[in-house]
Amino acid sequence: MISSLWLLGVAALPLVAVVVLLIWRKATKLQAGVLALVSEGLTLLIVFLLLPRLRQDGAVFYSFAWIQNLSINFSLELNWLSLVFLVTEMAVTLAAMVYSLGENTGEKSSNYYYALLLLFSLGMSGTTLAEDVFVFYIFWELMLLASVLLILIWGHGEERGKVSLKYFIVTHLGSLIVLVGLITLYVNVGSSSLSVLMEQAGSLPLQMQRTLTALFVIGFSVKMAIFPLHIWLPDAHTVAPTPVTIILAAAMLSMGTYGILRFPFSLFSMEALQPFSLWMMITGLISEVYGALMAFAEKDVKRIIAYSSVSQMGYILFGLGSLTEVGMQGAVMHVVYHAIVKGLLFMVVGIIIQATQERDIQKLGGLGKALPAVCLAAAVGALGISGMPPLGIFNSEWMIFSGGFETGFPAILTIGTLLGSIFTVIYALRFFGAIFLGDQRPDKLPKKASLALILPTVAVAVLLLLGGILPGPLLSWVVRGVQGVVGGL
Amino acid sequence: MAGNVSVIAPLGILIAGGFVIYLLARLLNLDNRVEAVLTVLVLLATLVTTWMLIPSWFGSTTAFFGVLGDGGVIFQPNVLGIFIFLISLILGGLVSLYSAKSLSRDSRYLVYYPLILLSLAGLLGMFMTRDLFNLFLLTELTTITVSALVGFRYHQDRAIRAGFKYLIMSSLGTMIMLFGIYLVYRGSGALGLQMEIPIGTDSFSRIGAGCFLVGFSLKAGVVPLHTWVPEVYSQAPSSVSALMAGVISKSMLFIIPGVCLRLGITREELGIFLMVSACLNMLLGVIRALNQRELRRFLSYSSIAQTGYLMFTLGVGIYYSYTPAFSTGLFLFLGEAVMNGLVFLSAGVYEYHLDIRDVQALSGVSRKMPAQAFCFSVGLAGLAGIPLLAGFTGKWLVFSATIAVNDRFAWIGLAIFLISTVIGLAGYLPVLAFQYRPAENLASDSAVGDFSRVHVSNWMAIPVGALTLMVFLLGVYPGPWMGIIESLIKWLAI
Repeated sequence: MISSLWLLGVAALPLVAVVVLLIWRKATKLQAGVLALVSEGLTLLIVFLLLPRLRQDGAVFYSFAWIQNLSINFSLELNWLSLVFLVTEMAVTLAAMVYSLGENTGEKSSNYYYALLLLFSLGMSGTTLAEDVFVFYIFWELMLLASVLLILIWGHGEERGKVSLKYFIVTHLGSLIVLVGLITLYVNVGSSSLSVLMEQAGSLPLQMQRTLTALFVIGFSVKMAIFPLHIWLPDAHTVAPTPVTIILAAAMLSMGTYGILRFPFSLFSMEALQPFSLWMMITGLISEVYGALMAFAEKDVKRIIAYSSVSQMGYILFGLGSLTEVGMQGAVMHVVYHAIVKGLLFMVVGIIIQATQERDIQKLGGLGKALPAVCLAAAVGALGISGMPPLGIFNSEWMIFSGGFETGFPAILTIGTLLGSIFTVIYALRFFGAIFLGDQRPDKLPKKASLALILPTVAVAVLLLLGGILPGPLLSWVVRGVQGVVGGL
Repeated sequence: MAGNVSVIAPLGILIAGGFVIYLLARLLNLDNRVEAVLTVLVLLATLVTTWMLIPSWFGSTTAFFGVLGDGGVIFQPNVLGIFIFLISLILGGLVSLYSAKSLSRDSRYLVYYPLILLSLAGLLGMFMTRDLFNLFLLTELTTITVSALVGFRYHQDRAIRAGFKYLIMSSLGTMIMLFGIYLVYRGSGALGLQMEIPIGTDSFSRIGAGCFLVGFSLKAGVVPLHTWVPEVYSQAPSSVSALMAGVISKSMLFIIPGVCLRLGITREELGIFLMVSACLNMLLGVIRALNQRELRRFLSYSSIAQTGYLMFTLGVGIYYSYTPAFSTGLFLFLGEAVMNGLVFLSAGVYEYHLDIRDVQALSGVSRKMPAQAFCFSVGLAGLAGIPLLAGFTGKWLVFSATIAVNDRFAWIGLAIFLISTVIGLAGYLPVLAFQYRPAENLASDSAVGDFSRVHVSNWMAIPVGALTLMVFLLGVYPGPWMGIIESLIKWLAI
């Protein structure tokens, strides 16, 4: 059976590729892209090779001493919960890397561009694998830094400097709140190891557990872009090059969800979490409706999908806030389905912008005939995000709503969330109809999209269909992952 | 004379070295680079003799040299002083190497290196002396030599003004300290500063202690006595700014507890003073840094904020009698010395090679000097507290110490620390990003007219590279450094 040392490869392999890319200055975009793809693909392969070990032991663990004076170890752990997030993040990055090859992003300094994409991915995979709070924070910040640099250097428009600064400062503020929580845990428990914290943090004074829960929920909600902490998201998603937007929306937002599950939910007692339940559900509902209304009101096609993320994260927070097993499972399922559908929609948007050089939805229309494959994929995406069965989000929303009804809070809250999803249907249909239906504008005749753009888009659309029709494998991972969290409650 | 003569060997080497180098330079008309190398050799000799002192005091704190009895002069090494001095020596050596090139357009290098050596001698003496009057004299030695270094480029009006301002402000500080000495002597009839014995707790001594507090606060750039800092750090040669911002100013903070607590100021009073002043330093430093156009003025305000972080940590340690906070303070001192040294020397490289002084003019410099831009970025990112760099480790330790004491004052201070960190980012990031601005967006006042590479002299590149490596080492592998500090702290008696 494969050694747990291979877990280190998940962190080391991308780093090796990054070093090669930094040295290989004359690499063409294709060469740099292929190298990055191979590295990311092999890393994902390592994760799958570790699966038998995970099934046997329940977790794969690797550690070595790092800062002995502070009792900090470089510890990584692959468990069922981290597996779901890890595979989602890496698959999204792979798709974005393929998409980058067909897009006109990173034409110059391609080696740096792909190196940063790999570091961005490494930040996310390290965050999900970290078993030590110090290591967790290091990777958490790496994720932020790499994404800021990608927006700053390859973003669109004159405003990219301001936008990346705003993104950095707002999300870093959230990170600092998380950091205070992490260090408070470390100081009071006397260990930075998550397994030790899981055993002992539940016995901290109740008031401290609640204060820490508040810190973690607020800090991670910034990353999730929950209303009103979402202010960084629309601009960052709009200015970032499309492949980066795909990773931001489809993968990075979910890191906030992972943080909430990994810290307050895994560590503290139900008694400590209970007071936050209602507030999380209400905030989730507000975020859901606000995001959907803003998506409906927006004209910029990228901003429409960006606000849609605020709305979708609202569903996830609602599911988490229910504090029920099915609600949390639904939230994690929603993370995966949202990643797929959001990746798909941003791919579609990227193709439209590249083909027409137009971002205003009112100036688009009738593109279905010129871009039939993209139109079909967009239809799957629009229906998917609307929660149409049998596409995946229907399953996760069903579970989230079930969790809401199980809470014991007035049913009107869950009914409100259910009704709020009507707004999602409205903006999704408007998005699809305004771009692909109607008469084609003669001044917006699209250029032919490259195969490197079409292929990943269609593949993701098929994945969304399959994920909805065959949710079994994913559900089994999610159930085991959430069990690790709920077991502690 | 009594005691062990090796105690004052480092002091003697520095002072003698300064005079010998000056004489040789005058008599033999030495080249700037030769003088720089000789200075580094003197600093190395001082480093070795200081290092050799360690076995003599590690087991006991009684090693001393001087004249005993009333009016006697006693020098006694202590762990805190030795640690700070070793860091100062290393930074001094790097600054001297750097100056071999950066001063090549100046004609007055004859006095520059001796002044560097004398200022370091004053600094070492301040930590070794065991009486208030000699503390005053040695502080003056540091002040006057540094004033001369600040006004080194005397043909520039702004440099003269900065040197004069520093001299006036510092002299004001030392005058206040002199008055403090009078009050202490009047109250207690003694000026000895023995580690174990408080001099007095009468009101004269307490007011005298207040005078010392004000005097050293002024020299450390504590708000509102900081007004000299931006002018001085932006007008002095960048090498001098690096030395001042890195070690000389901040080391004054470590003298305050040793003096004030022995003159009747309570731990609570001193702790509160440091924590409140620290908050002012943090906020004023980062807020004023935001709208600075001049690169070194920006770095000066950043340094004021860094002083605040250091004061806050010391304040927590003193107010709550929490020893790990002192370890944190020493680690912060080390980190800030390295990072401030790096950014000021880097700013000097831009001034020397591209005549860049404004932040806006940094546009696109990464194309001309990619390695230098990388080093400067590491310094700025370190100051911003980005993980795996020295600043983050310091931030982690400050958070840990503050959270561990778990008190409302500490939490308020921590909140201000957090706010200043975030505001600071808004300052550091644009400066960092300017260097990497793509060609099509270059500002009209960019110094990058063409993209041909500029070779940075090895004399400048090596110190900058060494400091960059240190910023990484302190961030990625801080364990050994923390181990040294923890073993030193066991002998620290504040």
